Amino acid sequence: MSLLTIDGLTQRFGGLQAVSEFSVEMKGGELMGLIGPNGAGKTTIFNLISGFYQPTEGTITMAGTPTAGLKPHQVTSLGIARTFQNIRLWHDMTVLDNIRIAQHYRMGYSVWDSVIRGKKYREREQRIREIAEELLEAMSLTEYAQEFPKNLPYGLQRRVEIARAMSVRPKLLLLDEPAAGLNSADVEDLIKLVQWIHDNFDITIFMIEHQMKVVTSLCQWIKVIDFGATIAEGTPEDIQSNPAVIKAYLGDDTI
Amino acid sequence: MDFIIQNILNALQWGSFYALIALGYTLVYGVLRLINFAHGDIFMVGAYIAFFVASWMLGPILNLSPLTTFIFAVPITMLLTAGVGVTLERIAYRPLRRKGAHRLYVVITALMCGLILEYGNLAVLGASRLKFPELVEKSIWHMGGVTVTNLKVIVIFAAIAVFIFLNFIVTKTKIGMAMRGISYDKFAIPLMGIPIDAIIVFTFVLGSGFAGLAGLLYGMSYPILEPFMGMIIGWKAFIAAVVGGIGDIRGAFYGGFLLGFIEVGVVTVFPSTYRDLFAFTILLIILWMKPTGLFGMPQSTKI
Amino acid sequence: MQKYSLNILMAACAVVLLMLAQFRILDNYIQAVVMFVGINIMMSTSLNLVNGNMGEFTCGHAAFMCVGAYVSSVLSVLFFGTKLGDPMLPASMAVIVFPIIVLIGGVFAALISILVSIPSFKTRDDYLAIITIAVNYMVISAIENMDFIGGSRGFQGMKDTVWAMKDTLNGPWMLFWVIAFTAFTIWVIRRFITSTYGKGVNAICQDEVAAEIMSVNTNKIKTINFMISAGLAGCAGGLFAHIVGYVNPQSFNILKSTEAMVMVYLGGMGSLSGAVISAVVFTGLLEVLRSQAIMDVLLAPATFVFPDWEPSAGVIKWVMIPLLLVLIMQFRPEGILGNKELSDVFPKLKKYYTFK
Repeated sequence: MSLLTIDGLTQRFGGLQAVSEFSVEMKGGELMGLIGPNGAGKTTIFNLISGFYQPTEGTITMAGTPTAGLKPHQVTSLGIARTFQNIRLWHDMTVLDNIRIAQHYRMGYSVWDSVIRGKKYREREQRIREIAEELLEAMSLTEYAQEFPKNLPYGLQRRVEIARAMSVRPKLLLLDEPAAGLNSADVEDLIKLVQWIHDNFDITIFMIEHQMKVVTSLCQWIKVIDFGATIAEGTPEDIQSNPAVIKAYLGDDTI
Repeated sequence: MDFIIQNILNALQWGSFYALIALGYTLVYGVLRLINFAHGDIFMVGAYIAFFVASWMLGPILNLSPLTTFIFAVPITMLLTAGVGVTLERIAYRPLRRKGAHRLYVVITALMCGLILEYGNLAVLGASRLKFPELVEKSIWHMGGVTVTNLKVIVIFAAIAVFIFLNFIVTKTKIGMAMRGISYDKFAIPLMGIPIDAIIVFTFVLGSGFAGLAGLLYGMSYPILEPFMGMIIGWKAFIAAVVGGIGDIRGAFYGGFLLGFIEVGVVTVFPSTYRDLFAFTILLIILWMKPTGLFGMPQSTKI
Repeated sequence: MQKYSLNILMAACAVVLLMLAQFRILDNYIQAVVMFVGINIMMSTSLNLVNGNMGEFTCGHAAFMCVGAYVSSVLSVLFFGTKLGDPMLPASMAVIVFPIIVLIGGVFAALISILVSIPSFKTRDDYLAIITIAVNYMVISAIENMDFIGGSRGFQGMKDTVWAMKDTLNGPWMLFWVIAFTAFTIWVIRRFITSTYGKGVNAICQDEVAAEIMSVNTNKIKTINFMISAGLAGCAGGLFAHIVGYVNPQSFNILKSTEAMVMVYLGGMGSLSGAVISAVVFTGLLEVLRSQAIMDVLLAPATFVFPDWEPSAGVIKWVMIPLLLVLIMQFRPEGILGNKELSDVFPKLKKYYTFK
């Protein structure tokens, strides 16, 4: 059974066709890329997968469950996590708290418990804390646990955001332009991080990215879209020499 | 049938006040994204200004006739009330805008300024109510079973005229375009060479001026003035503006009349103490179904 | 042991206050002021949950206080009073039943909050403000139309319950209950907000989209937060009604909501200790301004210029309070403590208490 099946996904906003007939099937464990010029509809596809928009046509099925009509937090509990183009961390809470909150779906206790704080609460909170601390440790972020994200350098913030997404224990991780705004040293770190995550967790990664270096080093398979439609797909080598792709990015000779 | 027409006329008149005040709310909101909670109290101030201006003109020094008083009182009241509105903007809102303060702080300031106006009035003028002098001699016309006073006609006509005027300004003039531009992107406007402060002052002049007009007309129609008269009318006009779709003057105009009709309609069926309750409930339901109001545009944020 | 210093100190203060009241060293006026401090703390901290921690802009908190006040008053009179027929319960049960009555008032207030929380799913800020103001008016308007509980004339008879408690055991019962419920309020809020569950509220405030995507059920959290906030305000209302012995719908109008807002924004949005401090400061300020003598002193320059003007303290108070908030907005909008707690500003205090 495949992990994620998208079939004929189409999204129209009024007269604008943002996404046309996008289809993909991921069995699990892939590291796939989604590229295309600005405004091609890539983030819209991510928004559709994560449940912020309901598709005009087409279906999305995650681990056998169709996501139609589900709210974003319900889609998340199916095992999908995502990061955003602009880092959306909670800046007035510590890094540790940012990770803790992402575990809301498996808190397992009620409001009463949070006030009375009986055994169930203590155990569950302990577990949440442990998971958060383990994750920080694994992503080499332990020393920043009590820092506020707004005080951290951008590269670290990106890493915290990915850590937060990971704490949801996703089977599918959607990364929306993770290298945006990073300098070359941070980009190297990012590539290593993503590779490490892919190797060490049972996870599928689907990534939107503009920086070719990141795409070619990490992705095994790439889909290219332009004006909402899929214009090419293949391995990094195929894509780099595909004339349709080159035309989409660079334009052709006709003026 | 006469009963219905009579009530329609009443609703139109009653709604005219709401419309005039709602227009002011919407203008300021459209430009500044600020709910000027003090606007209802500017209406009250307008009514009081009209009272003093009219009393002075009718008084021993000038001894003008009521009709002349009315003709002069309209522009003078509007001007002075506009002055109050502009002063408010200058003292309270502009410094916060300069600092780039969060919108919430400005809204709270507006709420508080409204209270200051109300209680300031109460403190300075005392609790006794003032009786507005009669300026326009009431002529009553009977058409079948329907009673129409010339005052009612004046009020309705004024509201429509103001709306047409404002609509013209906002859609057909350069300054109106600037006003609409500011509502979309405050930061780009100065870069285009448009003096943003001047536009904002102009907006307040319009909004407060017409609130002053509403105050004058209200004083003429319901001659008892008291410091809290602006409060509930202001809140209701505001809700009417939102239900109509705040930011769009058509919304304010139609929303004001809609509220007028709802209130008059409710009172014909239920005891008058239920008026406010029903009015608010219906408005809430409309807001619940269409959160951005009847004419409003949903504001979407990019995710 | 040192860690419990603050807890012990506060318990000791409470006991001292109660003793002073019992032996009539503390006169009724001061007792009333202390009780109003407690009520205001409850109102300000509960509103802080919604306006501060969740960053919503509600202006109708008094509606919940009103619901709680009326529900508990009616129950009180039904059980122990004579206005609505014979008392249904013996006076000896008053001590046990009274807190339950107050809590039931809170529960009803929490249910009313659903009128506000459901719209909050789709709207924010300005629109929500209108809805809350409308709900405030609606609640008052609805009660004014209910003649069987007095309508706009008000309702009374709750004092019977207080006498019933005093008959059982002579003591400053209302003071005791106010202290108990204030402590309860702070305890509940603190525990809720510091748990991972409660931190979801802050997450919604800072970035609702991210919260949704990170598995926070935003609608549920919003509803629960509103309910806790309204419920505690309802309890405050119930206590208020029994202290005064008389309730009137207009005591819970936009002015009361404004008082609560002033306290929250004065103390700092999101800061629990800020809300407590500002409630104390604000209540003190109200008492000071109530005094005509002080008012005359403050306004001496103006009355010098206009000798015929006799400002009344009750009215000028309501010019000064909004003015205070305007000045706060201009010069220190984050309030006394910003969104920090007292322990963040004075870290040494952390040694002396343990609020987990």
